[in-house]
Order: sequence, then C-alpha cells, then structure tokens
Amino acid sequence: MTAKNIAIYINDKPYQVQPGQTIMQAADLLGFHIPRLCYHPKLSLEGACRVCIVEVEGMRNYVASCAFPVTEGMKIHTNTEEIRRARRDIVELILDNHPQDCHICERDSNCELQRLAHTMGMKKHHFSGDRKRYEKDVSSVSVVRDPEKCILCGRCVRMCSEIQKVHNLGYAHRGFKTVVIPAYDMPFKDSVCTACGQCINVCPTAAFVEKNYTQELFQVLGDSSKIKVAHFAPSVRAAIGEAFGMEPKNLEKELVAALRKLGFDYVFDTQFGADLTIMEEAHELLARISGKGKLPMITSCSSAWMKSLEQFHPDLIENVSSCKSPMSMMSAIVKTYFADKLQRNPADIVSVGIMCCTAKKYEASRPEIVPSTDIVVTTREIAWMIKSAGISFPNIPGESFDQIMGLSSGAGAIFGATGGVMEAALRTAYEMYTGETLENIEFTEIRGLKGIKEAQVVMNGKEIRVAVVHGLGNTAELLDRVRKDNKYHFIEVMGCPGGCVGGGGQPYAGLNAIPLDEDALRKRAEVLYSIDRVKTIRRSHENPHVQRLYKEFLGKPNSEKAHHLLHTHYHAKEPRGIIPDHPIVK
Amino acid sequence: MEQPGSDTHLHNRSHAIFGDMSFFSKQMRIALRNCGTIDPDSIDDYLQARGYEALAKVLTEMTPPAVIDEIKKSGLRGRGGAGFPTGFKWELTAREQNEEKFIICNADEGDPGAFMDRSAIEGDPHTVIEGMLIAGYAVGAQQGIVYIRAEYPLAVQRLERAIVAARAEGFLGENILGSSFSFDIEIRLGAGAFVCGEETALMHSIEGFRGMPRPRPPFPSVQGLFGKPTVINNVETWANIPVIILDGAEWFGSIGTEKSKGTKVFALAGMINNTGLVEVPMGTTLRDMIYDIGGGIPNGKKFKAIQTGGPSGGCLSEQYLDTKIDYDSLAQAGSIMGSGGMIVIDEDSCMVNIAKFFLEFTQNESCGKCTPCREGTKRMLEILVRITEGKGEQGDIEKLERLGTTIKKASLCGLGQSAPNPVLSTIKNFRVEYEEHIHQKKCRSNFCDYLLTYTVTDKCVGCTLCRRVCPSAAVTGTPKLRHEIDQMKCIKCGLCFKSCKFSAITKTSH
Amino acid sequence: MATPHEIVTQKRAAALQRLAARGYDAPSKVFIGMATCEIAAGSKEVMEVFQEALKGGLKNVYVSQKGCFGRCNLEPTVDVIKKGKKPVTYGKVTVDRAKEIIEKHIIGGKAIAEYIIK
Repeated sequence: MTAKNIAIYINDKPYQVQPGQTIMQAADLLGFHIPRLCYHPKLSLEGACRVCIVEVEGMRNYVASCAFPVTEGMKIHTNTEEIRRARRDIVELILDNHPQDCHICERDSNCELQRLAHTMGMKKHHFSGDRKRYEKDVSSVSVVRDPEKCILCGRCVRMCSEIQKVHNLGYAHRGFKTVVIPAYDMPFKDSVCTACGQCINVCPTAAFVEKNYTQELFQVLGDSSKIKVAHFAPSVRAAIGEAFGMEPKNLEKELVAALRKLGFDYVFDTQFGADLTIMEEAHELLARISGKGKLPMITSCSSAWMKSLEQFHPDLIENVSSCKSPMSMMSAIVKTYFADKLQRNPADIVSVGIMCCTAKKYEASRPEIVPSTDIVVTTREIAWMIKSAGISFPNIPGESFDQIMGLSSGAGAIFGATGGVMEAALRTAYEMYTGETLENIEFTEIRGLKGIKEAQVVMNGKEIRVAVVHGLGNTAELLDRVRKDNKYHFIEVMGCPGGCVGGGGQPYAGLNAIPLDEDALRKRAEVLYSIDRVKTIRRSHENPHVQRLYKEFLGKPNSEKAHHLLHTHYHAKEPRGIIPDHPIVK
Repeated sequence: MEQPGSDTHLHNRSHAIFGDMSFFSKQMRIALRNCGTIDPDSIDDYLQARGYEALAKVLTEMTPPAVIDEIKKSGLRGRGGAGFPTGFKWELTAREQNEEKFIICNADEGDPGAFMDRSAIEGDPHTVIEGMLIAGYAVGAQQGIVYIRAEYPLAVQRLERAIVAARAEGFLGENILGSSFSFDIEIRLGAGAFVCGEETALMHSIEGFRGMPRPRPPFPSVQGLFGKPTVINNVETWANIPVIILDGAEWFGSIGTEKSKGTKVFALAGMINNTGLVEVPMGTTLRDMIYDIGGGIPNGKKFKAIQTGGPSGGCLSEQYLDTKIDYDSLAQAGSIMGSGGMIVIDEDSCMVNIAKFFLEFTQNESCGKCTPCREGTKRMLEILVRITEGKGEQGDIEKLERLGTTIKKASLCGLGQSAPNPVLSTIKNFRVEYEEHIHQKKCRSNFCDYLLTYTVTDKCVGCTLCRRVCPSAAVTGTPKLRHEIDQMKCIKCGLCFKSCKFSAITKTSH
Repeated sequence: MATPHEIVTQKRAAALQRLAARGYDAPSKVFIGMATCEIAAGSKEVMEVFQEALKGGLKNVYVSQKGCFGRCNLEPTVDVIKKGKKPVTYGKVTVDRAKEIIEKHIIGGKAIAEYIIK
C-alpha cells in the first residue's frame, strides 16, 4: 500500500514524494545525487561525515539529508552557494587530516574521498595544520589497517558489528585523536578479526586494504627454477571485469590467457577443487545422516567462517565438516598427485590461489593445513598485476585451463554464490543416497540474497532439511536458533554477504556505485548460474577428471588418503575482545 | 519544631534561615529549596520538608494527563540548557503506545567549573527521585535511570542511600503508596566523557556502547533508550517538579519572565567576590548577578566579560550587563543559558586565551564522530594558538568566523553546534583584542607570554640571579651593575621575572 | 483503603517522631555542611569536633549534616539554630573556630559576630 504523496520543494521546484523517506532517498529518486560519504544503505545511519548536508528553510542548522525525513511542504536546497561552501569546507577538513600521498596510494583513482574532493571543486587548502599520526598495522596476513588514511566515516565499524557481528572494530580516543582500532588495540593478527575483508569493501579510502602479495608473486613468476601453478575461484572470473570498468561477466578464458602471459606454467580451475570438495562433503553428510557424527553438518569452505567458528562458536566445532576448502584441496592435489605426474619435487611447485577472498590468505597460513597454498592474491591484486604487466586484458584471445585439474561441473561454478555449495552438495548427495537421477537440479529457494534460506529435500522417503546463510551476522543468528532447537541436517555458511561473489577481495565499487550493492552481487551470482546452465556436466560426481583422480590416486571419497590430504580440523580459540550477546560470555 | 505544611512556603525557607544579605536576598530557591537546610542522608528530613507530598498528590487526585497539563501550564523549560518545554516533552512520550518507557535523569555534569547538579544531588537527593516518580506516573514509565558521572562519588553515595530509603518506605517499587503505579530507579555511572551529557550519547552509554550521539529525529521521546520512548531531563528540572505540583503551575508561572518561568541555578565562578551556587528568578540581570549577588570583582579590578553556558556558551561584554537572564535574552545577546555555568572575567584575562581555553576543552571532548566538530575545532584551535603565540596572520579572524559558522550549522550534536560559541562571541564582542594580537603582536592583558617583552629597570641591583636562571643566556651584565635582556635571545619563559627579588623586571606587551 | 495522600501523611508523622527521638526538638541545632566542596574545605574535621563534644557530654544539641548551600568561598559553613533566635551561619569554620562556637555560642548563648557570614 502506498501512502498519499506529499509536496516538497527541492531547489524551488515542486515535487510529489512518498512520505516516510529521508531527504536523500527522495532526492535520489528525483535525480538529485546529494554528495555523501558515511552513508551506506545496508548499515545504520551514522550521520557522521556531514557531507550530505542540505539547507531546509526554517531550520536553524543544516540538515543531514541521510537521516532527516521529508515532511509536507518542506523546502530543501541542495546546491546554494552557502551549502556548497559548507560542504566543501567539510570535505577540506577531512582531506587536511589525511596523507596527501594519492599518487603512491593503493586506492589512487578509486578513492571516494578523492572523487569527492574533485566534485566539491576544492582548489586550495585553507585550514591545513597538524595531521594525526598512527602506526600502520601490518600484523595480519589478510588485512592491513592504516589509521592515518582513516576518515572516520565508521562504515567498517558498522559493517564489522552490524552485518558481520564480529564487533572487532570500534572507536578509541576522542577529538582529533579519534581512531578506529580492534578491541583493546590488539594487533590485527591477535584480534578477533575473521579476515573476511568486508571492512576493505566498504572503506572509502585505503584505511583498510588487503595484505598485498603482488611483489612476492612477481618475484616467484620470475624464478625459472619453480613451477608456477595458478588456480582461481569461481567468483574471480565473474567480477574481475569490474576492475577494468566492465559489468560482471564471465571472463574465465581471458583470465586463463592473462595468467599464462603473466608467467604461470599451469592454470587450473578452483572449480575442480569445488567438485572434489562436494565428493568429500556429500559423503561426509551421508555418513552423518546415517548416524556417524553430529548433525546438523555445517559447511567449512569459507575461511572467515572457519575463524569465526573457532572464536565464537567453538561448541559447534564437531558439527562442521572436516573438508578443506576447494583452494586448499587444489593445493594439496597440486603438490601430490600433480607433482607425481610431473615427476617433480613438490617443493619446486608454487601453488598460487587467486581468490575473491582476503580470509583465504589467513587460511593458507593455518598450521593445520598442509600442504598449503603458497601465495594467495585477491581479484583486486591480480587485476592490478595484469594491468601492471601491460596485458591488454580483457581484449586478448581466450585460452582454456590446463587439463588434469581444469575441468569442472556446473556445480563447481555456483560455489561462489550463497546457496551454491548447498545446491552442489544436494545434487550429488541425492544421487549417491537414492541411486536415482535428480530431475530438477536447480534449487531456486536457496538462491538469492535473503539472509537465511531454508529448503527440504526428500531422499528415499527421508526429509532432509537444509539451511543456507551468508554473512557472519546472519550466521550467528541462525546458529543461536540451532542451539536452541535444531531442525536441520545440513547448513551452508558463507562468511561474506552474498557469498564469495561479495568477498573481501573483489573489485572496488565504481564511480557513484555503492560497495556491496545488492544488484551488483546479484549480477555476479547470475554470471555463475549462467555458467552452470550451459554446462553439460552439472553434477560434481559426474566430473570425469574428479573420477579419474579418485581412481588413480585417492581411492574412494573419505578414504584414508583423502582424509589425510583433503580434510582438516579446528581448535577452539579463546576469543580476545568484546563479544556482546555471546553464549559463552553470558 | 517547624510544622510541615505550615504557611511558610518552601521557597521562603532558605530566606528565613539565611536572612537578607545581598547574596541571598536576590535569590529564590525552588530547585535548591532543601539544599543546605536538611540532612540529605535522612528521608525523615525530606518528609518533614513536605517530601513525597507531591507524589501523593498526583497519585491521589491527578490523572496522568492532568499532571502533564500542570507541568505544561507552569511553563517549565529544560534546565539542561536547550530550554525545551518540559511538559511538551513528557506529552510526546505519554502519547507513545509502548509497554516499556524510561525516565532518565541526566546528571552527567561536565562543564568546567559547573557543580549545580552535584550540589543538588548531594544536598537533596530525594527531590530528584520524587520528580522522576511523578514523570513516570505521568507518561506511563516503570523504570528510571540516573546517569551520573563517576567523578561524583559522594553524590552517588547519597543518591544510592536515598533510593534504598525510598524503596524501604514504599516510594519506589511495586504499587507505590497502595496505588497501581510501579516504578524503580537505578544508577548508571558515566566514565568521564563530556559528550555523554548529550542525550543520545548518554543513552548509548547506558546501553553499553561508546558514548557517541546519533542523528535526531527520531527524538528520545519517541525512540530513546533501547529504542523505547524516553523522557530525559536534567537534575535541576527534576528538582523543580515536586514544587510545581505542590504549589501549582500558576504560582510557578508567576515567577520569571514571559517565556522563561521559574528560577535558574548558576555556579558563579571566576573573578568574583562571592563565588558560589545561586538560584535566581529568571529575568534577574547579569548586573545584579555580578554586583549584588556576586559582590563585584575582587581587588578593584575592572569587569571585562561574563561567560555563560560553559564551553558551549558565549562571552558577553559590559554592554550586555543589563541583559536579563532567560533563555531568549541570553541567546539574543549571543550567548546561551546552558546548564548554569557562569564565569566572570576581569581585565587581567585575555579574551583570545579564554576562547582558546574553551575550544581546547571541546576539541579534547569531541567524540570524534562528525567531521566539523572533530576536525574543524582542531583547525580553529590551531589558529587561536598561532594568534596567541604572535604568529597570527591577516585573514585569521575571517577563517575563524567561516569555520565557526560551518561547525555551528553542520555538526551532528549540541557539542559541535555550540563549540565555536566562545570564539565567535569573543570575536563579536572583543574583536579589537584579536586584531591587536594579530597585527600589533600585543596582548593588552599581558597574558599571552609570547607577546610579552621583559625589560630590566633601574631597580636592578646587579644580583645576577636573573642571569643565572635564564635558560637561553639572554640576560647579560656584570655583578652589581644593571643587567640587560637581549630581546632576540629571550624565549619569554618569564623565569627572570619570577626570580627577581627586587621587582626590577617588568613585562609589557608593546 | 488509605489514599496515597493519607499514607504519606502517616509516614511524615512517623518521620517527625523519629526525628524527635533523635533530638530534633533540642533548643540548639547545628548543621554542618557536608557536601564534597565543604568536605574538601575541611568540614569533616569540624564535624568531628562537634561529635567529640557530644561524646564529651554536650547536652541538648542536635548535630546533623546539610548539603551545600552555595557559599563556596566561605566553606566550611556551620548553621547554628537556637530556639527563638535568628539562625546564624558561620563561615570558614576551622577546628579551633568550631570549638569556640561550641563554647561561646552553643553553651554561652552568644553568637560570635566576626565569624558570621552576613
């Protein structure tokens, strides 16, 4: 039902708008883009940056358009001389307390502050003076925090606490010295940071960036004594085009070609690893359903979830699948099976994961995971390397993956979207359990961006209830429900909003785009689903190269060898930091 | 023994006790009626002074809307500084349909030099409890919270004892005085952040978060503590409520000016003979405050300015001395009522330095959330520091005005919106002092060290002490002969001036 | 059932009785400022003088504390209220002055003019 329209005036022009929205929302719909910085549609209203101020007749002060509701007869001015100057002053104040080193900054040309300064028409520094001084925190293998670049918009703080409910980030000190830090000012590596990298995604500047391994990788690529093997995740091919100004699109073949041009000897598909994961995971599920192990079984391929589990949900460790992530399975197979094939010492092989994820860098550093991935770079890092190496991506002839670990099913492709792992697992588990062919293999009810999704599948007359959750905040909510009253057999968890397509290593949002915009996430996911649709092999267990791997090397799913190479374990970690609403703390 | 409910009106009691000396004769004590006349730790003392009679009155003979009407009629406005009509505030909360509502007493008094709330709670804690109870009944709330700063241990202790005593007597708890009304109060301690006096920051703090304000609307009356409708008033406002109920809105409305009713408590401080806590009817002039109640400026010094409203307020010069103390007159003059800080400044104080002092305070206490307050006040402070160090430049005043206006109009909360006031008001009223600092490198009050010149006069006996203490070897001279200061080497530390036993060194500003 | 008003009236009557039992009706009443500011100025020591005096046999005097009444620069303050006489407030009361007040005013019945803050 729509309410009766109300009349407002923007810059003296009358408009009819729906009541109950903010000035900014109304203005957006009418085609006025009021500049903004701390505002994010998915996060709570902060009202902190004051960039979106407008003049409202009859109000003593300027009004933050992000938070103030429209009222009947309201006369709003977005562009007067006075408000433009006030806004420019505010952006200038932000800029004056920010390192003036754009040309050596990671986010040069892709920085919201830079763009804003340009839009404001800043020509001069009127008020420059002291600048806050803080050390860079480079302790974490995933996330680098540079407080000097922080402009205190608070998007990371809200992302970390409201969407991810990790509550790692908060403000410290007051006034000019205000700074965003992990609880108790711990080094990032010791904090409760799950390495999901969502703070990087929402940061307008370079206050949060991934730990950059591009120089190390260039060095390795120049080392002729090594065999350089790359494998990239499903979501990388869907989103990498965005780093080159394109819409989400499948650039798999172009990326394979570019990686070879960069100097990789072999380019494999992490989707192969995904198929392998499904083989192991589906078996594990069926074993648990038949009474061997705890239910519900929870997926384990999201690295941020892995850390979150150990810190915040250690009571559920036994519920989580022991399967390694597709990336780690890939590296394990590369350094054993593939090394055997090449008849090379595994130590000569460098396994490089190209991931949409910052937490995968953390996963690769976990001592429990051996053999591990040697270098993990994000979509953003590889995009930069391709640009830096002068490769005319994406306008290059496409190439195919190297064989042996280059063939994948449609099930492996959809791994990158929330619900995809579940869907892939159900396709295989159903057929393994019932021995029948699953007719309708598209589980649309677990696709999409709803926080918690549910489905039921009947296998041999037994109802299997599953749930799918994305974002660590939704995960915590679902797990609380499970603790109270579990009705599920199988739960898929992806730590990032939208799943891996919304990973912390994906390209930054473009001009005037909103980080983690749902439309953008949907488009990326759609790329993966369309890859699945056109594949002839859409079930992991039908992947002939996976079958060959088991036949030649691993034996059966969950065999001793498979267990040794493809499975891992978890340890409860004492959470350090403040965790509100936590069952253990309570 | 003085009989309770006798004809002696409460507001005359202190008068009766303290007589008619000028400090008291111009005062009128409503909020502080019991402060300094009863034992704050004894509920018996409070009961004897008509305590909890107002509560009994509303529970016996008034409906909640009638209570709100009475407060509205009285014209009482919030004593925390903004002056929002109290009855109207209550009505907004009463209108909300919600099972859970809160009453908050804001006792997070943070203005430098202000101690009204502390004295009120230490002197008469029960009146705050009674005021909150009446509001709880009027708006339909069951829980009250007093947010008080941890730096007030005695006030906290007395309030705790008062709450325990009130519970024991059945004034707090279930079915109060046999009625169907239930209400209780708990205390939350603030951790020393000035910004927590701002209502939304205060509520964040109670909720367990960092005390940072949030945008309004929604206002606390609709969506306050834990998202529930909340009435939040300051200590002094609460202390007025029982008297209004007992003696009537009409009587209360007869005190004060047309738009500002009743009295206001001030903490009178600075260069004044009678420093102290005073309560005067609205409409008293600043002149009466300074010369009658305050007893004038000590040591025969000349009055220069009066600062009202604490770090959020402004400095008014002599021409404003006949300004009436009420919300609107003070605002019109370019200052604010504030919560009751009142600092008298004499001719020895440098106005640029005063502005700097307050801005330093607000910059340190800025929560760091919104840009104008966090960054803007820092830049203003830098300019002020520069000016007082003799490095002021042409255009600095204009920059201060421009920044000040932007900060005032664009900041998120009251702290930022008022932070430039001390600077803007001193520029307005004492612009010449700024100009002297900038252009003539002169501080007329001989206050700004960097602008002073130290010279040795004929009184010098050549004792060599100044030469020995000078850290920059600026003093030269032979023993028993007059010494000299090399102005190029002098770093204006003032050690020679302080050490000279013969007052032979003078400091002047050009 | 009693109305809230009646209940409070009863409670006050009880309070008055309790006060009377504590000696509130004594011919001399002494109130010592015991707010934070007064304590900082030394009122605790002053209070001790009066307590000691009571222990030492001072009769017919009701000694109690009071809050701050606003004269910061003259603290600690002590009110002495004698039945039928105008109440007196002393300022800047030290231990010695307190002893003097007990002796000359409370016992002797003669206010000490130079300490009175009016």
